[in-house]
Amino acid sequence: MVDLEKLKSIAKETVSRDDVKYLIGWRQGTYGFRVSPHFVEKPEEAEELIFSPLCTNNLASYLVLPEKLPLPRGVEPDSRKVALMVKGCDSRAVVQQIVEQGIKRDEIIVIGCPCEGVIDLEKVEERFPNQLESVTAQWSNGKIIFHLPEGNEEIPKEEVLATKCLTCRYPNPVLSDLMLGDEVETWGDEKYEDVKELEAKDPQERWSFWEEAFSSCVRCYSCRNVCPMCYCEDCILDRLNPTWINRSNNASENTAFHLARAFHLAGRCIECGECERVCPAGIPLTKLNRKLSKVVQENYEYIPGIDPESKPFQSSYRPEDQEDFIL
Amino acid sequence: MKEQFEPNVVAFLCNWCSYAGADLAGTSRVQYQPNVNIIRVMCSGRVNPLFVINALQQGADGVLISGCHPGDCHYIEGNFYARRRFGLMKELLDYVGVDPRRFNMSWVSASEGNKWKDVVEEVVEKAKEAGPFEQFRRNKINW
Amino acid sequence: MNNKPKIGVYVCHCGINIAKTVDVDAVAEFASHLPNVKVSREYSYMCSDPGQLLIKEDIKNEGLNRVVVASCSPRMHELTFRKTLAEAELNPYYLEMANIREQCSWVHEDREKATEKAKKLVAAAVYKARLLEPLQENEVGVEPATLIIGGGIAGIQAALDIANAGFKVYLVEKTPSVGGRMSQLDKTFPTLDCSACILTPKMVDVGSHPNIELLTYSEVEDISGYIGNFDIKVRKKARYVDMDKCTGCGICAEECRLTGRISSEYEVGMGNRAAIYLPFPQAVPAKYTIDPERCLFLTRGKCGKSPKCVDACAPGAIDFEQKDEIVEFKVGAIIVATGFDVFDASRKPEFGYNDYENVITSLELERLVAASGPTEGNIIIGKGRKGEKKKKKDRETFTPKEIAFISCVGSRDETVGNEYCSRVCCMYTAKLAHLLLEKIPDANVRVYYMDVRAFGKGFEEFYDRVRREGVRYIRGNPSEVFKRGDKLVIKAENTLTSTPIEDEVDLVVLAVGLEPRQDAREVIDLLRLSQSGDRFFMEAHPKLAPVDTATDGVFLAGCSQGPKDIPDTVAQAKGAASSALGPLSSGKVMIQAQIAHVDEATCRGCGFCVETCPYTAIELVTVNRVGHMVSVAKVNEALCKGCGACTAACLSGSIQQRSFMDEQILPQIAVLGGM
Repeated sequence: MVDLEKLKSIAKETVSRDDVKYLIGWRQGTYGFRVSPHFVEKPEEAEELIFSPLCTNNLASYLVLPEKLPLPRGVEPDSRKVALMVKGCDSRAVVQQIVEQGIKRDEIIVIGCPCEGVIDLEKVEERFPNQLESVTAQWSNGKIIFHLPEGNEEIPKEEVLATKCLTCRYPNPVLSDLMLGDEVETWGDEKYEDVKELEAKDPQERWSFWEEAFSSCVRCYSCRNVCPMCYCEDCILDRLNPTWINRSNNASENTAFHLARAFHLAGRCIECGECERVCPAGIPLTKLNRKLSKVVQENYEYIPGIDPESKPFQSSYRPEDQEDFIL
Repeated sequence: MKEQFEPNVVAFLCNWCSYAGADLAGTSRVQYQPNVNIIRVMCSGRVNPLFVINALQQGADGVLISGCHPGDCHYIEGNFYARRRFGLMKELLDYVGVDPRRFNMSWVSASEGNKWKDVVEEVVEKAKEAGPFEQFRRNKINW
Repeated sequence: MNNKPKIGVYVCHCGINIAKTVDVDAVAEFASHLPNVKVSREYSYMCSDPGQLLIKEDIKNEGLNRVVVASCSPRMHELTFRKTLAEAELNPYYLEMANIREQCSWVHEDREKATEKAKKLVAAAVYKARLLEPLQENEVGVEPATLIIGGGIAGIQAALDIANAGFKVYLVEKTPSVGGRMSQLDKTFPTLDCSACILTPKMVDVGSHPNIELLTYSEVEDISGYIGNFDIKVRKKARYVDMDKCTGCGICAEECRLTGRISSEYEVGMGNRAAIYLPFPQAVPAKYTIDPERCLFLTRGKCGKSPKCVDACAPGAIDFEQKDEIVEFKVGAIIVATGFDVFDASRKPEFGYNDYENVITSLELERLVAASGPTEGNIIIGKGRKGEKKKKKDRETFTPKEIAFISCVGSRDETVGNEYCSRVCCMYTAKLAHLLLEKIPDANVRVYYMDVRAFGKGFEEFYDRVRREGVRYIRGNPSEVFKRGDKLVIKAENTLTSTPIEDEVDLVVLAVGLEPRQDAREVIDLLRLSQSGDRFFMEAHPKLAPVDTATDGVFLAGCSQGPKDIPDTVAQAKGAASSALGPLSSGKVMIQAQIAHVDEATCRGCGFCVETCPYTAIELVTVNRVGHMVSVAKVNEALCKGCGACTAACLSGSIQQRSFMDEQILPQIAVLGGM
């Protein structure tokens, strides 16, 4: 369990340092179960920091998102460190960003938050609809306590956790400079059941499943924009010269878009589930990405975002890599 | 109806082994079906996996990648990268319900003109069985 | 210049080779309607002079700036037509070919279908041609010098060949003297010339050649750069002897307190040396070296009242203050001639090498039969168990009468990880058997063998000769060697007669095989060499590029590439030398044009291309992007070989292989997929 007072005092201390630009954490949102990213630049802003089952966002995206605007001549770029609060899954994104040299280890301060699982907002809102007041929550012995205006509600966590958390293998950060609280016990047993379920269907059913899913895509690019691994200056899927994907919104282009994105994430996706969480069309993107995670793990014995020293998956090979599919 | 379907297969061949093997098939006057159209690249490691998606979208009923046998790559290890990339691509396409017969990879060396013919026959036959891949066509967009 | 594409399409009949199956008129007609096509023609033989003239004239008269030739394979005539373009003063990389012969007319019979396919192939070529870019082949100068790593016979021969051609050679040898393994041999098969007699003149030559800089007792520390321009860093280890002052008189070694108490590497344990030593009498350079691991003064800071060598050395050559020295220089080519290790016989414990003094290896026997060896050529063998402490006078020695060789020790043996044949053991066994009979005429010599491989010039004849001389060959691989009384017992099965054997002998000689050097890894890391399955260094092509490596300008010679006898080693060394002389004498190398380049504006600096590149041709560098220091990939054009693996690895499409860019291939896909 993360001690909030400890969190705040560490945060204050951290942002008071001359070599720290800001700390990225979470704060309670403006209504319901919402939580917002919180950029702490001044010590007093640390008061608002929280860590609770509502802290779903993967803040690692913010490490690579800042736009590098042109600097006037003679102005030095701000090279101060960024401090970041991470859950287990988020930390894997940080590790993978280090592997891909998107960030350097010494540019960040990682504050590890052992996590007992975060909520699926939809599940919670279904159970407690129309909450206009801000609601806080906390973990307690395998349950989540929601502090509703009408009183506390205890729910077994399995009933409201995000799907990815139910099988989580990395509740504790795999990389951190300091840890808030003791490590929690790992409960997840990842068997990729959701992927297997779809694999068991016949090809036509699978095609129909994805065709329907991708047809609903509105090409808002939220999945890409929220993804902590997607931070090319100029995404090839946006590009006109050459044109990989047409901009028209139809099943063919949408399918190509999502397949290309899934492929680019193969061996890199750390399964934080942010793409699916932010998708306004409800496309089961983790089901797509996790297929390749499963293949990468089962066929190539590689798990991304664990070892900052590892070689990028698609830029390496083993002589004994499988080739039974080759004529 | 299905007998008349002539599939269109786009193939990416590495210059040193498979393209040379296809040339050898020609020099040896081995006869095979004309459904495979070849794009020459220097190495199978050059083939961007997104080319496969693009080819299927642009009208191909099948895609073939062919390179040197493991250990024979002119560029030492390009075919090893290709093998890993297309191993993933094959799984991905299969998972979204693309008929697995549409995507193939082969090792054909410069001396394997006959193997090239066999590969062509096999991928064309598979593409025929899979039928035209209309669902994914870019040019079928109805504005 | 207006660079709007104006394309000329030329459809070749190739006599009837194409025209018989493909309607070339129809293809040319079809091509004339493709975008940007200004001229579309068919002609009987495009590669003929009139055919090429047609292109050249159209370039001049019609202002063509792209050319598509639909004919045979580009592997056949791409260079021909590139030259045609160049002669018409058009950049040769404005050429695209459509292969309508090998991959169309020759493999299809149906004229209609073949014509349709040819049209597609031509269209794809036209669409690609529209996006072609002019490319430059660059030249880089070549440093007229060569680094040779390893001073055995391979390195010596290569050094002499290159030096005699007038180029500088840096010959780096790890040990204090050149000569290598060959210097340890007594006579050489099958001609029985004395190894030293043929080797030492060459050693003297490399030592005195004005073009050869000999760096003995030295190791290569770092290599960077590329063909023509390698930067080399060599560590000259401290010898603690001033090379200029040492006369090689050897009084120091006589005086050394440890004289005769240190096992000599050269004598492979059969003889001893002092802490200050010359590896062997004919060593080049004939300068003494102090063994820093054994010298009392260097290890303990004290050697009696004062080191005896210092007192003995009249010229005052001994210098305990000497430090390692780093030498830096540039070369244009590198030859790797690092040789081999002898198989360590203790890895076959069943043969008792570690246990019995009269189980020896072939190399040890080589030193015993050598007239210059520790026993002056007398076959004197110790008795008893190895490692026993005995006073010198108690040492029992004897001359063996019953002698057995066991062949293929450490070769053709999966249990020790060596599946390969070492290629020399059969013949050196025959040679040693012959020499033993010369020295001990009443000896009974037998050879336990799996197969006798006498494949070289004069080998079979020599093998016959030693059998006639009385050497018995017994087909069977012994399972065990153990002691019974005074004798060694070899347990084996004669596989020709299927009879078990227990053979009592006085001496067992293990014909040990050749292995990659223990320190091969260091060389691999220095030069990014590959290894073949047998762990020896891998040549660029097993048949057609046997001395080349995947890195341009780096060549292999001798046993570092695989087991070889002396003639093969010398031949390969000469091959490597002449390969290295190519760029050295032309003074320049061409850098390929179809290589990778980086769009720094979009590169995300992830390094996927760096990790992927088989040639370490890409590195990340820091650049200033609108005031921010960001890291981006940078291609070393001299190292890039244009495979394009980086391009497929790049997520943002920022690194592109010229002539095979995404934007050039995608239109081909569109044409071939969609027509």
